[in-house]
Amino acid sequence: MKKLLLICILITLAGCASNKSLPGVMAFPNVPDNLMVPCPDLTTVDESTTKLSDVLTTVSKNYETYYDCKVQVDNWIEWYNTHKSIVDSVK
Amino acid sequence: MWMLDFIPDAYLHLAIITIICTGGGLYLLGLLMNFWPPAYPYREPVRITATVLVVAGIYFLGGYGVDMEWRAKAEQLQAKIDQASAQSESANAKIQTKIITQTKIIHDKQIVVRKEIQTVEKQIDAECKLDPAVPKILNDAAKNPMANPIGTVSVGVAK
Repeated sequence: MKKLLLICILITLAGCASNKSLPGVMAFPNVPDNLMVPCPDLTTVDESTTKLSDVLTTVSKNYETYYDCKVQVDNWIEWYNTHKSIVDSVK
Repeated sequence: MWMLDFIPDAYLHLAIITIICTGGGLYLLGLLMNFWPPAYPYREPVRITATVLVVAGIYFLGGYGVDMEWRAKAEQLQAKIDQASAQSESANAKIQTKIITQTKIIHDKQIVVRKEIQTVEKQIDAECKLDPAVPKILNDAAKNPMANPIGTVSVGVAK
């Protein structure tokens, strides 16, 4: 009798433990991998150089870095706005 | 209650209707017992059982109706979520493609700029000699201020 009672309790508890997913819960949207790359530090120039061309090259590299980061930030904003409207449409 | 999920809806509905009909049938039987004296002692228990069954059946029927309504709403919501997830994936793909295209444009432009620098390298280096302070100042400006927030620019201009 005790065993039967124990089995009944276990079955009842298994019901509490059952992982029934709630309907209507939207998972957090995925973010494209290339948006998750942190912006690199700017390149520095060799301090012993006296050549303007070295400075110019470094500056142009840093401009490139800036524009790469600009692309990421602009697309993060676009990603946010797009997904906000998508998630809002579900409510 | 979770065990009820394993019972098909049609069987559940049938069971509820059966409970109500049994209750109704028993109630009628209880009324008919008025016309048959030997059954008098059983009238009240039959009526009470009938009432309990009808009340319980209606309660279950209401619960079942609410559950079905909730399930229909949940299905509608799930359909919306599925649609939104597809839209999200599509938007991500567009953004990903856009990033790749924009990054390529930036890199291509930089290749052109570096080639230009290489072309005029000798000319600009011959005409301009940098003061040693220039690279230092440039490097200080390029360094991340968050990495060393209290750092200050201190360069001496060569005379």
